[in-house]
Amino acid sequence: MFHFPSWTLTLRDLSGLVAVGALLYVIVFVWFGFSPKTTDVGYQPHQPVAYSHKLHAGDLGIDCRYCHTTVEHAGHAAVPPTATCMNCHSMIHTESPKLQLVRESASTGEPIPWVRVHDLPDYVYFNHSAHLAAGVGCASCHGRVDQMEEVHQDKPLSMGWCLECHRNPEPNIRPVSEITNMAYDPTAHEGLGAELLAERGIAPKQNCSTCHR
Amino acid sequence: MKTHDDKNFWRSLEELEHDEHFQEALRREFPEGADSSDGFDRRRFLQVMGASVALAGAQSCRWEKTNILPLSARPDDRVPGIPAHYATCFELGGVAQPLVVTSYDGRPIKVEGNDLHGQSNGAASTFAQASLLEVYDPDRSPAPVKKGAESVDMADLEAALVDIRAKHASKRGAGLAFLSHTTSSPAMAELRRALAQQLPDATFTQYDALHRDHELDGARAAYGAPLRSVYDLSKATRIACFDADILGEHPAMVAHARAFALRRRPEGPGYDGVDFADRGETMNRLYCVEPRYTVTGSNADHRLPVRAEQVGAVLAALEAELVKGGLAVPAGSGAANEMPQGSLFAEGSPVRRFVAALAKDLAAHRGASLVAVGGTQSPSVHALAHRINAMLGNVGTTVNLVAEPDGERTNSERAIEELVDRMQGAQVGTLVILGGNPVYDAPRGRDFAKALERVETTIHLSVHRNETSKACTWHVPAAHYLESWGDALAWDGSYCVAQPLIRPIFGGRSALELVGRLVHGEWRDGQQLVREGCQARTGFKSDKAWSKVIHDGYVADSAAPHVNASLRAVAPLSFSGPPVTAGIPTNGQLELVLHGDACMYDGRFANNGWLQELPDFMTKLTWDNAAMISPATAQALGVTTRDLVRLTIAGRKVDCAVYVMPGQAAGTVSLALGYGRTAAGRVGGDADHGVVSAGFDAYALTSDGTIGHASGLQVDKLGTQYQLAMTAEHHMIDASGAKERDGEWLDPDKEGGYPERGLLTAAAIMAFNDESRSRGRVAELVRETTHEKYQGYLAAVEAKGGRAAIAAASHEGGHAAEASSANGHAADQVHGGHGQDKTVHADAADGHGAEAHGADAHGEGGHHDLDPNPIKRFSGPPLLALWQRHSYDGHRWGMSIDLSACTGCNACVVACQSENNIPVVGTDQVARGREMQWIRIDRYFSGDPDDPQVARQPINCLQCEDAPCEEVCPVAATTHSDEGLNDMAYNRCIGTRYCSNNCPVKVRRFNYFNFHKDLKSSDNDLKRMMYNPEVTVRSRGVMEKCTFCVQRVQNAKIKAKTEGRRPLRDGEIVTACQQTCPADAIRFGDLADQHSVVSKAHASERSYKLLEFLNIRPRTAHLARITNPNPALVEA
Repeated sequence: MFHFPSWTLTLRDLSGLVAVGALLYVIVFVWFGFSPKTTDVGYQPHQPVAYSHKLHAGDLGIDCRYCHTTVEHAGHAAVPPTATCMNCHSMIHTESPKLQLVRESASTGEPIPWVRVHDLPDYVYFNHSAHLAAGVGCASCHGRVDQMEEVHQDKPLSMGWCLECHRNPEPNIRPVSEITNMAYDPTAHEGLGAELLAERGIAPKQNCSTCHR
Repeated sequence: MKTHDDKNFWRSLEELEHDEHFQEALRREFPEGADSSDGFDRRRFLQVMGASVALAGAQSCRWEKTNILPLSARPDDRVPGIPAHYATCFELGGVAQPLVVTSYDGRPIKVEGNDLHGQSNGAASTFAQASLLEVYDPDRSPAPVKKGAESVDMADLEAALVDIRAKHASKRGAGLAFLSHTTSSPAMAELRRALAQQLPDATFTQYDALHRDHELDGARAAYGAPLRSVYDLSKATRIACFDADILGEHPAMVAHARAFALRRRPEGPGYDGVDFADRGETMNRLYCVEPRYTVTGSNADHRLPVRAEQVGAVLAALEAELVKGGLAVPAGSGAANEMPQGSLFAEGSPVRRFVAALAKDLAAHRGASLVAVGGTQSPSVHALAHRINAMLGNVGTTVNLVAEPDGERTNSERAIEELVDRMQGAQVGTLVILGGNPVYDAPRGRDFAKALERVETTIHLSVHRNETSKACTWHVPAAHYLESWGDALAWDGSYCVAQPLIRPIFGGRSALELVGRLVHGEWRDGQQLVREGCQARTGFKSDKAWSKVIHDGYVADSAAPHVNASLRAVAPLSFSGPPVTAGIPTNGQLELVLHGDACMYDGRFANNGWLQELPDFMTKLTWDNAAMISPATAQALGVTTRDLVRLTIAGRKVDCAVYVMPGQAAGTVSLALGYGRTAAGRVGGDADHGVVSAGFDAYALTSDGTIGHASGLQVDKLGTQYQLAMTAEHHMIDASGAKERDGEWLDPDKEGGYPERGLLTAAAIMAFNDESRSRGRVAELVRETTHEKYQGYLAAVEAKGGRAAIAAASHEGGHAAEASSANGHAADQVHGGHGQDKTVHADAADGHGAEAHGADAHGEGGHHDLDPNPIKRFSGPPLLALWQRHSYDGHRWGMSIDLSACTGCNACVVACQSENNIPVVGTDQVARGREMQWIRIDRYFSGDPDDPQVARQPINCLQCEDAPCEEVCPVAATTHSDEGLNDMAYNRCIGTRYCSNNCPVKVRRFNYFNFHKDLKSSDNDLKRMMYNPEVTVRSRGVMEKCTFCVQRVQNAKIKAKTEGRRPLRDGEIVTACQQTCPADAIRFGDLADQHSVVSKAHASERSYKLLEFLNIRPRTAHLARITNPNPALVEA
């Protein structure tokens, strides 16, 4: 007859330890894995130039696309070249110490080292132009940038969050003319989202290859 | 040639002989050693990584802080993240290949052909595509080097150049010599004109180890002028190649392949028709007479393997036979050749039969035939070919004569001899070598290296510090052609411009700039030099015209005009002795053929990992060359594949491995040039850093003069073996197919056979077994038939009232048509197969919702009768779906690969590697079956091992509809998209390899190691630059495979959406392999669109699906190869 050898008794004693360890592991995993630090919600790095979106996009009402010119045509919503800043600031606040770096960049040609706020993993592909063409507004993913003094990440940008909208885009669809309207609330226009989806044949894909390629 | 039905395909002699080693390999799921991780650091693995590939994401929980650095002022046309395309050109052997290069945020990342130019049509050769890797090669030389000096910089070089110019200017340039590759650059021609004015006694020598100067000498003999023959294969219905590789090595191979394929595809380029006759065309027929397999020879309908020295005699015999058939030698061109006397040409010999049939066929197609002779044959053979073409009325139709650019240059062989003599005689004070590597690739008998020592100052301009640089006083880093201005003439003589895609990464100079520096005494702007050349060649002056030239990459209508030349007397060839004797010469009298390599060219690409790892089109060898010996000769010599032998000719020796090559001419040993480099770099070999050379240096066997063929070779067995990394027997599909072929499966009487399931009746199983036994599955993978048979089949369809009538009748009548199958041949032929299903409801074939299931299962093989269509030969019990089938309401992507068009040139393999960031893994890994290329070209032989037929088949992921891989992935990393693709989510893959195990076509590739290691480190800034940012770079432990270039699919869809949500046009999405296919054999598109080219290709009578009986329902259809054998030569 088979008997467990005596050393297996130690295993029995150890199993309690393993159970506690596993529990700890789960807690730590959830703690870190689901924390906003991981998803980076609220991430607000300090930028080299104290540029205020609140002032420019909010108070002054400059359209997002004045600076982020490529957003409708390219995957990137490119950060503007220094020359864009200088369009105005060669005439306004030409002596402001806050703009010292901008003026330097314009004269030397060295880029301003902006810090990336919204960062996706390298194995994810995201395209701004496709989303704009479908009628997803800037605010849907970036939040009320027009109220941010310094930009922070407003949404988790996690796969689950992406899929939420790809599965049910209706609450986030707006007329293309309202794309950059920060104050526009798609949920306030009942039925319009569904109408737009049907009218323009928008059916977001949930294939792996839609984003992973 | 044997008929199709008893054709048995084999991939190697081991398979043919059912060798033990092969049986073992067949049974194993992965090659021996594939699972072990040892040997990783052996040979040059780590070095390879350095030069080859990567971009790993920081996949940790915290993002690192990254900066966005926008340009201070962005140019108007620059949109970050949107690739720009620039036209440029690549010069190889003095001929420009027009290109378009994709630049991503200022970095060139992909080389493609220029689709505006007729010499490219969008396709590019393997060399042109892989040249991209050179730009980012970390082995490139970063700074000037002076022999013996500690460290020097550009200022020192500058001072030296000033001295040199001053020294020679005072002597009218005497003692100053330039040595360059053959170049057709008009800008260089302008500089040489200036050189002749300012330093009239300076000399300019052009040398290429692989040159086409014999062709020019042949034209001189025949026409009195150095004329280039430009072939128009689209008009040629009978083509005879005598050691001429018009579809492979030829500079115009890209254009040739496109034109050749036009007459190999019965349905026409758009798959609109049914047969050639619909368009009033005839299929072409290709004859090849050659000592070793060339790409062209492997495509031949009839191939005669003879030694290189016999090729001329066969051509003379052809002329004699033509004259006998009633054709007259053109007046004033001398006496016709007599039939050579010798046992090779004995009455009734295979050669005589071949020649007689060829002569008759050519004579029947006067004005639409073509005789081509290859570069290493002697000028007199070329002259004879000119006369035969004239005799056949081909001049002006299939053969157009144009003036060779710089045609009066000295023949490469004589030029290098003269230069070496002058160097030896101390007549050269300063030698400026513009690129190239003469120490390595000049005939060794001349000892260029020793002559260099006699020259006071030698300057070598080169991208790498190679063998020649190390022997020179000065090494000057060169700018890559993608980094500098340049120009050259395409094969048709049209002017092409090269523009820089990026500033020289290592700060090098171009050859034009360096010559300009010495001629004009100052560095002149490259663009200005090129513009002067363009103006001299084409007369373009205005800025606007110049902008257009840069935009298009070439000057329209600048092709060289056709020349009307009159034939002169051509001396008859005389043959005696061994060249006209049949049989294998004795050891010591064997023939040695040295030839350019399909991957290394003359050796200049030796440090290019993509090309080193590219399996040779015939041998499937990577990282090595080997002495090719025919099976009969190998038997006589007592050697076999992998044996090390010593080749000795005229006292020169090389030790190398043997590869027993079916179809090699008996008595010919051929060895590819370009291997055995000792100062190539970390990939190709670097003696100074202990990196073993890839392959064996064939130049060591060259003595003097011609690098080509010579007799007097001795082969001695050394008694040891050498590991050759060959992919021919990798990824074999037949592990289970072999069992089936042997009847081990599906045997109702055998225990453990298929159980009684009701559906599978014993009769059906037995019928299936019989079928399986009689054919074997390998024959099912690659399918071909003759044009004659195919026409007969199509005619039978026609006789029944056409396809539509048969389709309608059989659709209504169902199985009724089968009743008359004994007599009603045609009805049966199309019954039940894909044909009518696709015609009637084209969307059913892929399972369009539940209602189509029945018809679908039927269409996929539910017909019990054998379909007499020789191509669709699958029969068996009905195949039912195990799972609910996918349904589609949008796109259904599909591909078609036309085996009739494919020439096996490998361009698609490099295109895929470049587009999809596929790593290079090194020879050791390849030997373990771990090569990573997503597309492979399987090569099959059939028939007599000493004179086989060749078939080839590109296989990438078939994107099976019922994909076996998807069902076994435990983490759903590979799933089916709603457009029919088998998606791979790399970041989800945990590396179980179950999918690869379950993949019946073996197209999945596993990252056994992190081939893109340390990409984030600053040491790898250079490597990071060359990746395609649209494609994820995979890490260790991840499975990968062809995705149908899903990034291109998605980008085209996004583009259509942003442009007002318009529908996609057919042909808008082009996969990388399709884009570059010179023969246009690969098509991609939407199967949901009945009018798309790919749908039409799928509907062709030739289309078949791989491993159909496994019920995997591939989305890629292969189109069976149609051959066109001469009935007079087909054995009864």
